[in-house]
Amino acid sequence: MTQTVKAAKKTSSAKAKATPEAKAKAPAQPKEKAPAVTKAAPEVKKPSSKKKQALAFPFTAIVGQEEMKLSLILNIIDPRIGGVLVMGHRGTGKSTTVRALAEVLPLITRVKDDIYNRTVEQYVEAESGKKGAAAINPEDVKTELIPVPVVDLPLGATEDRVCGTIDIEKALTSGVKAFEPGLLAQSNRGFLYIDEVNLLDDHLVDVLLDVAASGKNVVEREGISIRHPARFVLVGSGNPEEGELRPQLLDRFGLHARIITINDVSKRVDIVKRRREYDEDPEAYLKKCTREQQKLQKKIVAAQELLTQVSMDDKVLTDIARLCMNLGIDGHRGELTITRTAYAFAAYKGQTTVTMEHVKEIAGLCLRHRLRKDPLETVDAGEKIDRELAKVLGEAEVTA
Amino acid sequence: MIAFTDIVGMDLAKQALMLLAVDPSLGGVVIPSAVGSGKSTLARAFADILPDGTPFVELPLNVTEDRLIGGVDLEATLASGQRVVQHGVLSKAHKGVLYVDSLSLLDSSAVSHIMDAMSRGLVLVEREGLSEVHPANFMLVGTYDPSDGEVRMGLLDRIGIIVPFTAQNDYRARKKIVSIVMGTRDRDDTEDELRMLRGLIEAAKVQLSHVSMTNEQIKGLIQTAISLGVEGNRVDIFAIRAAIASAALAQRTEVEDEDLKLAMKLVLVPRATRMPEREATDEEMAQDEPPPPDEEQPEAEDENAPPDEPDADADEEQEETPDMIEELMMDAMETELPDNILNISLASKKKAKSGSRGEALNNRRGRFVRAQEGEMKSGKVALIPTLISAAPWQHSRRQDKKMAGRPAGALIINKEDVKIKKFRDKSGTLFIFMVDASGSMALNRMRQAKGAVASLLQNAYVHRDQVALISFRGKQAQVLLPPSQSVDRAKRELDVLPTGGGTPLASALFTGWETAKQARTKGISQIMFVMITDGRGNIPLQAAYDPNAEKAPKEELEKEIEALALSIQADGVASIVIDTQMNYLSRGEAPKLAQKLGGRYFYLPNAKAEQIVEAALS
Repeated sequence: MTQTVKAAKKTSSAKAKATPEAKAKAPAQPKEKAPAVTKAAPEVKKPSSKKKQALAFPFTAIVGQEEMKLSLILNIIDPRIGGVLVMGHRGTGKSTTVRALAEVLPLITRVKDDIYNRTVEQYVEAESGKKGAAAINPEDVKTELIPVPVVDLPLGATEDRVCGTIDIEKALTSGVKAFEPGLLAQSNRGFLYIDEVNLLDDHLVDVLLDVAASGKNVVEREGISIRHPARFVLVGSGNPEEGELRPQLLDRFGLHARIITINDVSKRVDIVKRRREYDEDPEAYLKKCTREQQKLQKKIVAAQELLTQVSMDDKVLTDIARLCMNLGIDGHRGELTITRTAYAFAAYKGQTTVTMEHVKEIAGLCLRHRLRKDPLETVDAGEKIDRELAKVLGEAEVTA
Repeated sequence: MIAFTDIVGMDLAKQALMLLAVDPSLGGVVIPSAVGSGKSTLARAFADILPDGTPFVELPLNVTEDRLIGGVDLEATLASGQRVVQHGVLSKAHKGVLYVDSLSLLDSSAVSHIMDAMSRGLVLVEREGLSEVHPANFMLVGTYDPSDGEVRMGLLDRIGIIVPFTAQNDYRARKKIVSIVMGTRDRDDTEDELRMLRGLIEAAKVQLSHVSMTNEQIKGLIQTAISLGVEGNRVDIFAIRAAIASAALAQRTEVEDEDLKLAMKLVLVPRATRMPEREATDEEMAQDEPPPPDEEQPEAEDENAPPDEPDADADEEQEETPDMIEELMMDAMETELPDNILNISLASKKKAKSGSRGEALNNRRGRFVRAQEGEMKSGKVALIPTLISAAPWQHSRRQDKKMAGRPAGALIINKEDVKIKKFRDKSGTLFIFMVDASGSMALNRMRQAKGAVASLLQNAYVHRDQVALISFRGKQAQVLLPPSQSVDRAKRELDVLPTGGGTPLASALFTGWETAKQARTKGISQIMFVMITDGRGNIPLQAAYDPNAEKAPKEELEKEIEALALSIQADGVASIVIDTQMNYLSRGEAPKLAQKLGGRYFYLPNAKAEQIVEAALS
């Protein structure tokens, strides 16, 4: 039986900082006197992108599937778009693409060794106000650059690992109550990826919905009371034939990319060749793609910077609203998503004004999953959107 | 233990396993075969031809999630006072074989975990306070009996080789052969043969990187995949690897036609979702009688010596055109078409089991999902969560005077610490829609039925229900959609549903009953038939096999339906019959049917989809 003693792997340097939350909020337990809570810090977990340094197929070498790639890139440029749901055929590179994402992501600044990847402002704001804690001078806070974290949430994850829980080892051996952060903490300001998202257990879906809506993870369990920021870009993938996605979760995703099998022989030959070349010598292949990868990364960073300068004409906004109305989309998430996505798309193209041309290209991504489902409908959602879009554009031209 | 070389027959399966031994990146081999064909014997004998010390892990069907993925080893943890991690079955199979017998009966969550491990080559353990990554690069060998149900397509997509299903009628004879061989053969002979075989495979592994494949050949395989409607790109790569492994096994440096043919046969054809264009349409095929089974087994007896073919002319290879590949493909298809594709591979393979949905939490049965507070007597105690909740209080409890006299170091666990395991068990209801698509049903009723099924499917998530769809027309009923929750698929199936012909009501009842029985083996206990019909059966069960039986007397037909209906009722299947016939035409067949089924009857001549759903759910 293969066994590894986990404790042996722990580094003492991990105890760098105390978890102020655990310290500050002594839980109110009615029945018993709360045990002394010490300053001991939970083990600092590195973002999982570092933990599993398994090589990934390069993002820029993925043939076709532009819709999925664009959706992911737009979400890097503006995380407020709200994530991507990638649904489609088996074996079309859904998870390969998402896992390849890590390599083209820009770097972010976080407080050094902060388990929640917080910025200095967030850190100071959260920690300064604590009872008994001295005010922190932002200039004293050490920072570091890390790649945007990509956290993989496996289907078999238990709730305690997702939300975080008490560190049982410390609790048992030293009677100390320390918080062990979960995947939600790791994914703050990054990407949270769920493969086969349509098969995720109900109770985990509930947790995700709750956290995604509030941007905060609140843990009240095993005598621990902690709240920490958990803002992440939710990326899910799956095959619709394996089961449907819960409507509330579906609605959470900003964009919905659809993937189908490529039926072009030469493209498929190309895919196979690239894959074989990669399999033969992954490192050499990655090296070959480095320039392309860096180019894309630069383009994304440039778009992020440009985003603040992008503007949109009121007329375009009116057209977007009319499109959503004509399609009978409930709520306002449709308009909001289109607007944000169009901004990001314009920035990605290096332009500072959003036009209906931009909207046209991304409307399907934003609205496809928001159309009301009509059981008797035989028209594809994408076609329906295109049709309405043409109408809106036509009208717009006439009135102009 | 019967050695690999002692097994007579199943040549294609053996060939498949040898290819896998040569190139483990093929992912695995799935062998669908009838009971008693020796498939599991063969799979277990696979270990014989692998290098010594290769792990061979058999996965029990009732495996729990923590054993599959890994978790905390409680005993060692308590003994050492440190967290000790126990690797799961998936990780134990690393660099070896994971063998699953009755693959189609494996729990859907276990299937998801296997799929996940196969696509990463790793197991991510994120449970009970653990966050670990274990290597899990294994070959999956699975055997199953197609009559138990199908394997999930997502899983099959990650397994390179699917051995075409062959009806093994002669399994008794085969067993005999095995025993005769066993009795008369020398153990040393077997050992020698195995050693030779292992040597052959080792040599082929070395050869693997020296095998070249032309662009035309790659293109040919991909074209074949496209014309067969194979989904995704992963399969293309498997086909190429299989062809190369086959060439390597023959100690060649170039891929030849026979390698391509084998790759098509083992990788592409079993995943076909449509026939190549020049073939008849689905509908025509369904109506044709299957041709007599073709017992010819191609490429037999090559496990002891490599096929000693003369090297092909290099020029010839250069001139290879896609046309030639097409010919090859048809060749590969034709050998397998008669009894394989029509019955097993096409369409019926597309079955997808629903995910983790139709399940509810309980205290006793199913898969352990989480721990909750509860009475110790009300379920199984979850030890670790109980310890977790007790741990922080140990210090203060020891200070408590009431606890004085306890041995030092003993854990003090109070009642409120106790956590009970919550299990997830499949439950929910399976609605089996049986839609009369005969000529007597007007087209608009088909639309209503389609609407009702689609609405019900959309509600399925909330109600944790599953839906199956059976249509009946012509000679017999047909399962269009096995129990599923996918709106997309149901819609697609319904969109192409043809109407017209006779009303094989008896066959519908029979097929529905079979579907119900299969669902029961998978843990779905509540089953409801929703029959949308006028109840006028006019085709007997026999008609599916015997064209002469079609003109059976009315009394016999009624008797047949009655007997079936009563058995179904006795089996505890609930039913509702929705009569869509116009009032003035009705002769009361549908109410009679409902009565025999012990079910409710609804008369909805102009029923709207919503009404049917309401009736089914109320």
